[in-house]
Amino acid sequence: MPITRINVGPVHPSTHGVIRLVVDLDGDTIENVEPHVGFLHRGVEKLVETRMYMQSTPYMEKLDYVAPMSYNDAYVAAVEAAMGIPVKERAQYIRVILLELQRIASHLLSIGTLCNDIGQMFTAFMWSFKDRDIVLDLLQEATGSRMFYVNMRLGGLHSDLPPDFEEHALNTLDYLEKRVPQYEHYIERNPIFTERMKGIGVVSKELAKNIGITGPALRASGVNYDVRKNSPYYVYDKFHFNPQVLYDGDNFSRYKVKILEIKESIRIARAALKSLPEGDALGMPVKLRSPNPKNRISIVSRELPRGECLMYLVADPQRPYRLSIRSPCFINLAAISHIAKGERFADLFGILGSLDIIMGCIDR
Amino acid sequence: MKVDRDALVATVSRMKSEGFDYLVKVTAVDYADHIDVLYILRNTDTSKDEILEVMLDPEDLRIHTIINIHKSADWYEREMSEMFGIGILGRNAPRLLLEKWDGVDPPLRKVFAWNAAYKTKEDK
Repeated sequence: MPITRINVGPVHPSTHGVIRLVVDLDGDTIENVEPHVGFLHRGVEKLVETRMYMQSTPYMEKLDYVAPMSYNDAYVAAVEAAMGIPVKERAQYIRVILLELQRIASHLLSIGTLCNDIGQMFTAFMWSFKDRDIVLDLLQEATGSRMFYVNMRLGGLHSDLPPDFEEHALNTLDYLEKRVPQYEHYIERNPIFTERMKGIGVVSKELAKNIGITGPALRASGVNYDVRKNSPYYVYDKFHFNPQVLYDGDNFSRYKVKILEIKESIRIARAALKSLPEGDALGMPVKLRSPNPKNRISIVSRELPRGECLMYLVADPQRPYRLSIRSPCFINLAAISHIAKGERFADLFGILGSLDIIMGCIDR
Repeated sequence: MKVDRDALVATVSRMKSEGFDYLVKVTAVDYADHIDVLYILRNTDTSKDEILEVMLDPEDLRIHTIINIHKSADWYEREMSEMFGIGILGRNAPRLLLEKWDGVDPPLRKVFAWNAAYKTKEDK
């Protein structure tokens, strides 16, 4: 049968942003997928070379607009490592709490949009957006902003937690803990969902390492690697949690890992809230001049909701000489041609949804 | 770990057989007098990272691909090639990944004048 070429995007409801996929089909079977990216390329890596260290934090948040705080944290941590600034203990706990809340919000959005893509399960989409909003309320209470927080400062945070935050957060975590089983009950018993997710887009453990996928997608293929556990940062080593590893490597596993990670994040955030130490959490105020860096090269790795982000920072006085960002979505999308080969065309969007890509993060 | 350009493919291949089976990132840094190409490799069992540094002369920016050893090098190499003007040997020349770039200097090189007027190849 002759090969048919279908062009998907750049503006398509199932592509979660501006991305163009050129799909070669043999009948209904995918022969090759060629992603065309770069529609959101802003040259952030060049831009930070022209700005003072802390002037670049808002740019970092715009990379992943679904989990902005995580990216901001990774960048600020790289600058802290370069300057040799220790993070205050209370600030470390608060960062862990806020980052885990951010992870919950991000995974909820990912699950909701996946359900919407896969079979018009709009109920799950509305549920997850409602619950995500409650988490965002909490983040707003802590940082003063709903979407772009810019609350990380060198050595700490912009502001301490408000007085009754702990109580509100624990109530919200209790509520979410009751909600997650309802998601599982509703989504996983739906035959439309399971038929289109189980056994589709299978990535074996060896292939997963070879094509370099990261984060929940890597753990769904049976590779037990989570930066929070394997090279712990902040106070993650003080809490008991397990990286969630599944072994099927299909779409369903990639979805299920996110559900399990929400449960783990609830546990981590609750443990951190209960053991929150007293003290000062404020970081250095943003001034035009920052301290001169002590280390020329610093490498910082962080577990973002979508996978591992690695910041390679070559420091100059006052501004970065070079910042190289390892974006988790970039490499997850690069792997789609290996994953989707041999699948049906209709399943492409399930695979794309389960990989959970954000275009700002890919194009940078 | 500093690696000679000619020994790169053999080193990456040997390290893969020693357990460094995950490629974290391929990137480059322009130090004006030379360009460092960095390969960050990881052993996922022991969580140990190893960085291979290959020093390139700005007059001779060519390096061999490692796509046959790590498939994940594909987009990293393309991005690096586009942003630093480094030629990747041993693989077909694909289209540009992130930008349709018609400028004179590659964007992430230090010679790229970010605050000067935009010049295309025709202007030069």
